[in-house]
Amino acid sequence: MGKNILDKMAMQRALTRITYEIVERNKGVEDLVLIGIKTRGVFLAERIANRLQQLENVSIPVGELDITNYRDDIEHDATSIDEIKMSNNNIDFSVENKRVILVDDVLYTGRTVRAALSAVMDLGRPKSINLAVLVDRGHRELPIRADFVGKNIPSSQKEKIKVYVNEIDGKDAVEILK
Amino acid sequence: MTERYLILEDGSAYLGKAFGSLSTTTGEIVVNSTMNGYQEIISNQIYHNQIIVFTQSSIGNTGLDQNAYESIMPTAKGVVVKEYENLATDQFKRISLDRYLKLHRIPGIYDVDTRQIVHHLREKGNMKASIVDVADEHAFDQLHATVLTNQQVSQVATPKPYANPGDGDNVVVVDFGLKSGILRELSKRDCNITVVPWNSTSEMILDLDPDGVVLSTGPGAPTSLPDDVLEMIRNVQEAVPMLAIGLGHELFAMANDAQIVALESMHYGSNHPIREIITNEVFYAGQEQGYAIDSKSINHDKLYITHADLINGTVQGLRHRDYPAFSVQFSPDGAPGPKDAVGVFDDFVEIMARRRDSSETRF
Repeated sequence: MGKNILDKMAMQRALTRITYEIVERNKGVEDLVLIGIKTRGVFLAERIANRLQQLENVSIPVGELDITNYRDDIEHDATSIDEIKMSNNNIDFSVENKRVILVDDVLYTGRTVRAALSAVMDLGRPKSINLAVLVDRGHRELPIRADFVGKNIPSSQKEKIKVYVNEIDGKDAVEILK
Repeated sequence: MTERYLILEDGSAYLGKAFGSLSTTTGEIVVNSTMNGYQEIISNQIYHNQIIVFTQSSIGNTGLDQNAYESIMPTAKGVVVKEYENLATDQFKRISLDRYLKLHRIPGIYDVDTRQIVHHLREKGNMKASIVDVADEHAFDQLHATVLTNQQVSQVATPKPYANPGDGDNVVVVDFGLKSGILRELSKRDCNITVVPWNSTSEMILDLDPDGVVLSTGPGAPTSLPDDVLEMIRNVQEAVPMLAIGLGHELFAMANDAQIVALESMHYGSNHPIREIITNEVFYAGQEQGYAIDSKSINHDKLYITHADLINGTVQGLRHRDYPAFSVQFSPDGAPGPKDAVGVFDDFVEIMARRRDSSETRF
């Protein structure tokens, strides 16, 4: 049993605040698209999209990005990489000239985000890419930072930060596991 | 037991029994439907110059708690209730309600039909009232002749700045007649607070180098304050994160072009469900509201409506589109009332933290 950092209410408020900040920063929702990084980032992206729907009565497209094959810490079979790269994505819109908001649960080393940036760039040339994360736990290994953060949780590298989302975990919470 | 009368501007009179101070007072009569928290209600400066009718049938039964005052010097003008208990017999040797009211020269009257009074007021609208010894022509003449000030804020707000130190975010609270609950919740979040008078200019406020600014609750109509206050709000909202509550919320709306309307039936209670629009979640909070924002007057290029009252449809929350500035009509500190909305303060602290972090990397 880990130490609870964010409960259901705090998590909801964090996503609500991120939503307001996204509109504030982009001066509206024009050309906005959300891309969630699998697995939990997708659910968080959908929740942000639901909030934007409530708030502005617009339907913002949500895509699912699987960056497994872009990771630099997994060895790839060089010959087949281009074919499988895109296989698990579910993005049925063009990112060309769009303002892309990448959504993930935890920002840690920055390697996932680096991979996601490459993957999005392979899909087209967006006008801009912003990063929204529920938790920023520090320990970056790349020059990457989030534009929208739910909660900064300074952590030790020995700790594990676990985000639970109701859709697959049956509860909403963020916990630190030792 | 001394018999006294509650008389209303429209000529009605109610015979009851006295408690608290035996002075004669006049004020605007308002109905509070909150079940508990008579101490917080009576000591809240929002009831400045007002006689409070409790629909809760019995008050006084838990004495007064030293941690639950909402101001040092209450300025309510009277307390009306069906049944009054004078219990202060617990181990903490609390002050009794009777003693407290005597101390602050607030008269009380009980054993009157508060249900009837509430129905009467709902029908006839807002009016003045007095608590008097005899309900004769002279008393009514006095009542009619009394002019209640519309400068309530300057009567109850601090005339000088004061500090309420902490180790965290530097927060300036603009005092329009604040309730202590606001300071209590900011202190819990370790804020380093400076409370400044309601008529402070934006220069004075920003010179204190705040991480955020809070506009407090307070009594009276927002329209009776000078336009300088709106100018201050416009300048501050551009510079730093802002949270506005109650009267502060109404002023925040006015500063961003919205109009204010007086409610036909004032609402003091915590029984109205409030919907947060962005999540569709419903919660309850204490509300003390004589005025509301005319929702048709809201400029949607500047403000979102974030919360709405599901009973009377009033705007309960706003947020600026371009700046990290937001406001709530209800009392998120829950003193008294539900604490459902206390996260508003967490949001405010989080927004201040975000702003500080955004220019540099923390790790």
